[in-house]
Amino acid sequence: MIKPPSTIVSFLGALLWRNPIFARYCRSRLRARGLGVALLITVLVAGFMVALVGSIGVRSGTNVVDGARAGIIPLIVVQGLILFVLGTAQVAGGMTAERDEGVIDYQRLIPMTPLAKVLGYLFGLPVREYAMFLATMPFMGWMLWRGEVPWSVWVPLYTIIFTTALLYHFTGLLTGTVVQNRRWAFLVSIGLVFSLYTVIPQMAKFGLVFFKYLTITPVFEESLPSILPKGMGSMVSAVQHLVPTVKFFNLDFSETVFTLFTQGGLILTFTVMLCRKWRRTEAHLLGKLWALGWFIWVQLLLLGNALPLIDSGDLFPSRAFHLMAFEGKAWAPKAMEAVLMSGLYGLVTLLLIFLLTGIITPAPDDQLRGWRRARKQGLVALPRLADATTAFWVVILMAITGATGWMVFARALVESSWFPGHLVPLSTWGFFVAVVLAGGVGFHGLLEAKGFRVVGLAAIFVGVVPVMAGAVLGAISDRMIPGATWLMGISPLSMPLYATGTLLTVAEIPAEAARAVPRAFFFWLVVSVLVAIWLAVRLRVARRAMAERVLGGLEEGSR
Amino acid sequence: MMTTFGERLEVGGHPPAIDIRYLRVDYGNFVAVDDLTLSVPRGEIFGLVGPNGAGKTSTFRVLTTLLEPTYGEVFMDGVDVLEDIEGARRMIGYMPDLAPVPSDLKVGEFLDFYAAAYGLGGRASRGDRVAECLEEVALTEQRDSWCKKLSRGQTQRLVLAKTLLHRPRVLILDEPASGLDPLARRDLRNALRKLAQTGATIFVSSHILSELAEMCTSLCVMNRGRLLASGTVDEVREQLGNTDRVLTATVVGALEEAVAWLEVQPSVQEVRVEGAQVIFGFKGSDESQADLLTGLIGQGVRMRAFEERRTSFEDILVGVAEGNRR
Repeated sequence: MIKPPSTIVSFLGALLWRNPIFARYCRSRLRARGLGVALLITVLVAGFMVALVGSIGVRSGTNVVDGARAGIIPLIVVQGLILFVLGTAQVAGGMTAERDEGVIDYQRLIPMTPLAKVLGYLFGLPVREYAMFLATMPFMGWMLWRGEVPWSVWVPLYTIIFTTALLYHFTGLLTGTVVQNRRWAFLVSIGLVFSLYTVIPQMAKFGLVFFKYLTITPVFEESLPSILPKGMGSMVSAVQHLVPTVKFFNLDFSETVFTLFTQGGLILTFTVMLCRKWRRTEAHLLGKLWALGWFIWVQLLLLGNALPLIDSGDLFPSRAFHLMAFEGKAWAPKAMEAVLMSGLYGLVTLLLIFLLTGIITPAPDDQLRGWRRARKQGLVALPRLADATTAFWVVILMAITGATGWMVFARALVESSWFPGHLVPLSTWGFFVAVVLAGGVGFHGLLEAKGFRVVGLAAIFVGVVPVMAGAVLGAISDRMIPGATWLMGISPLSMPLYATGTLLTVAEIPAEAARAVPRAFFFWLVVSVLVAIWLAVRLRVARRAMAERVLGGLEEGSR
Repeated sequence: MMTTFGERLEVGGHPPAIDIRYLRVDYGNFVAVDDLTLSVPRGEIFGLVGPNGAGKTSTFRVLTTLLEPTYGEVFMDGVDVLEDIEGARRMIGYMPDLAPVPSDLKVGEFLDFYAAAYGLGGRASRGDRVAECLEEVALTEQRDSWCKKLSRGQTQRLVLAKTLLHRPRVLILDEPASGLDPLARRDLRNALRKLAQTGATIFVSSHILSELAEMCTSLCVMNRGRLLASGTVDEVREQLGNTDRVLTATVVGALEEAVAWLEVQPSVQEVRVEGAQVIFGFKGSDESQADLLTGLIGQGVRMRAFEERRTSFEDILVGVAEGNRR
């Protein structure tokens, strides 16, 4: 037998088994009284399911294999509830409790690496839920064995259940660490998990396939033929032949590997965020380089998953409906699907830029600290990637990258064999860049100058209210639609949809809005570009003034 | 030992235990700590006193690396706290205000967790150190009690024990005596004195000046983020301009002569007579007070009693808090 190198053993040991935070939670959360009740309930529920399914099988005379398989999915649901819901709530709640009680300051001071602290909390806080999960495994093992489920099915399934649980626990840990208010932390973590599991994956149906790999759904669906009773399993298997497998550009991946790849990226990013927060409370969740890299990674995943599905038609939402309805006639995508999907891509890109800009933009106080630190170190400029440095150039790079991804997506859709004769000229890329740049730079400028409160108000009154008001106005009568179109155009969120509606030749805008959409688009684009330039220039002047004040020793009380 | 501002104290070739220079902490437009410069030599029990909102906790959070200041420099035993966070953390023992404890651990488990986190050896040696610390704060009998069941005083002592576990060179205690009864305060005072004798430097805050005056070798007073005074208790009193005292002489006969003589003395104010007593305000040092008394007797005034009453430290702080004595 090959003995693993002692350094690896000690590394792993240091990571978890010898981790004081993990040990502390093992102590407090695995006490006989609390754990006993939890295990009793778990075993009762799991045992009841197995016994009930077995009894029904005996009564209905089904064979042993089908009888055992009938209980697998209900038990997976129970396991999901334990790990995903209870575990995540425990992680988020436990972390906020640490802060509420005030003991988190002690933990900040203990000489453990940020990674060790993160891992200690990640596995320690939900340790009882892991024990409950393990308590269901004998029952599951029995059903997998009696149901003759091959290991090649259940190993990937449980791997993904575990990584999905980790991803959700990371979400809880992050919200518990970052969100100040205990009640909000709990609500945000539940909201995030709910969105990760239900809302965000829905975007897969509109061309953004990547998002469905944040859940266990793809691997679970792939496993269905082997874990359902054999009759149902073969039906699902037949349907699955119609469903695309995971393609990433020209590569083919199994669902498990790709889900691991997708979730792994997010888990790594969450780990970086938490480590940064543990190292220094005031640190941004992500560094500038990581934010830019993560943005590019998401763009690649979005494109890599979507582009190979265009020619087969599997990317279009109407294709799935067509297959579900078992309609015999030939199918072809509608032109407006391509327009809306392209618009959605642009919108998601813009929202991602907003999110990352919110993370990496320094407040004026942060910048001031950075300049004072630079002066102390004898520097005449801030380090390019420091938290205190303006995020302006990173926003520009993200905007250009995002607009390029958007262009690639739109071009692949419009110039596909489904829409012969249509082309997307290079000038469209220029407009896409303008849309994303104006939105991104405007958001960044407002955030850097005025902070989150003003940005929040702007998001409501400029981002959402015009869309709502326009929708109400447009619903009154067709005559109001042009006015509603102009009104909705105020919102930067509507710009990507207006852009694709205006610039893509396949667009078939309804007659009532056919004139208003392009006019509103160009008008509001010019306005938003001018506002963004004005904000960028003002901020540049303000930043220079701050630098001169600090480096020149002109500020109040400076030494 | 004297505490000075403005320059780094080097005692016996060693840098000061704590050296704060031009520290400023802003929360938005609010200035919590304003241009604080202060040095604390090694082995001192140094008090930081000030009303609520004076900037004590913000100063402590910067010292303990939990808060990045707006500007300024902080050195702990020569280590730049803002640059070498991990190095600073190893030498600090921090007891925050209200001394929180987790509700799901027992006393022994709580301490064992931190002993493990500070890498104090295996289970046996950790157990020994935990027992030592519990004994130091007189909580040995509570080792198996739940943290949440302890009284306020016991909780304070438990957190002090946690703070001592890794034998920190610098102890930073934020309001450690708040909520303690006189007996518990005395125990805490004794524990701190014992620690200082081992060479540890203790920086302790309170909004009760008399409490710090009892246990500290020197102290400073802060208000609205600014340092108002620093030094021994008497030096602080002097720096705050509060040397006023009220003197009462109980005279036998010759009352008018005594009043007439006192009224022309420059250090005497507001002379009044109540029965056989002459009551007057006096402003000056202890020496000049002795000279005054000798002079009065030299005038042939016979006294059967003499009493001195000073403004209490609490009164001074109230004045500071109201901004009357800046």
